[in-house]
Amino acid sequence: MIIPRMRNLMLVGILPLGLLLVSLVPNTIVTTAANAITAEEMLANPELEERARNLSKQLRCLVCQNQSIDDSDADLARDLRREVRSQIAAGDSDDAIVDQLRQKYGDYVLLNPPLDLATMFLWLAPFAFMLLGGVIVLMARRQSGTESINELDATERAKIEKMLASRNGRNE
Amino acid sequence: MMSQLRLSFLLPLLAFTALASVGAVALYATLSGSRDPAQLPSVLVNKSAPRTSLANLMPNDAGDNMVQLTAFKGQPLLVNFFASWCAPCRAEAPALEMLSKRVAILGIAYKDRGEDTNSFLEQYGNPFRAVGMDTDGRMGIEWGVYGVPETYLLDANGVVKLRHAGPLTRGVIDATIIPALEALGS
Repeated sequence: MIIPRMRNLMLVGILPLGLLLVSLVPNTIVTTAANAITAEEMLANPELEERARNLSKQLRCLVCQNQSIDDSDADLARDLRREVRSQIAAGDSDDAIVDQLRQKYGDYVLLNPPLDLATMFLWLAPFAFMLLGGVIVLMARRQSGTESINELDATERAKIEKMLASRNGRNE
Repeated sequence: MMSQLRLSFLLPLLAFTALASVGAVALYATLSGSRDPAQLPSVLVNKSAPRTSLANLMPNDAGDNMVQLTAFKGQPLLVNFFASWCAPCRAEAPALEMLSKRVAILGIAYKDRGEDTNSFLEQYGNPFRAVGMDTDGRMGIEWGVYGVPETYLLDANGVVKLRHAGPLTRGVIDATIIPALEALGS
């Protein structure tokens, strides 16, 4: 009785949780960064340059659409990197820089879409599906657990005993 | 018990059917050309166009060295980002020529050199009331341009009504530009 419960817990709770944790590992560890950035673009101050690199990794190259401007060699990506760096040099905060780009290119410029009404489904759907999957698994398990075995009644028992007896008699 | 059993089989089936239908509709729209996933929506639509002041490609006799967007207020205006190095811009030149008979067009030469822009206009015709030079592409970023050609339709108050990324084809003009112009009474 305890063991099937544990398996349910595994399926419904631990497994999806593990997958979720794996998905949270920063993708920089998994992918090797292609260096599109050239030396002359870089800011002299390493601290500011670090901020610029960080920001660039969060911003989408709108031409290639699936690369950050940090990774992309496209002309527009280079222009946007230059824009980010000139604003950092001018003393703007990271949030202000991102906000300015959002006003020009929309949320699409962010590789991580913000959580708002329009993106609610996108963010919550995985959890909803996880829950749905869990409910289905639980329902299916409960189903198989409650299948009852019908006891034989007296006539059936007599019939079987008679059959077994005749069979044993033949074999001897 | 029976109904519960059915539900646990039906639920995934229903969920899959729903997802598959969404996918099928999107695929059909893409294949039939009514949906282009590469077309990004513009945040500028229904907002005032960015303040635009650019070096004039053709300074006039009055010594007017700058092209100002505000000078075009009071009438609908097409703003067309183009470049001499952009092949689709050549393809859309006849379409712009045709549209220029109906609406004023401001050209913005994106990351182009003046001499190249001039020879492009000589070769493919000049449908523009004025041409501003966006040599370093900064003005393009202000407008949210992500590739030339891009065309914006502004109303008489300088509010952006429509943005089309990519060349203006007969189909695009008939389906989007003309109806939008008519809505503006032009």
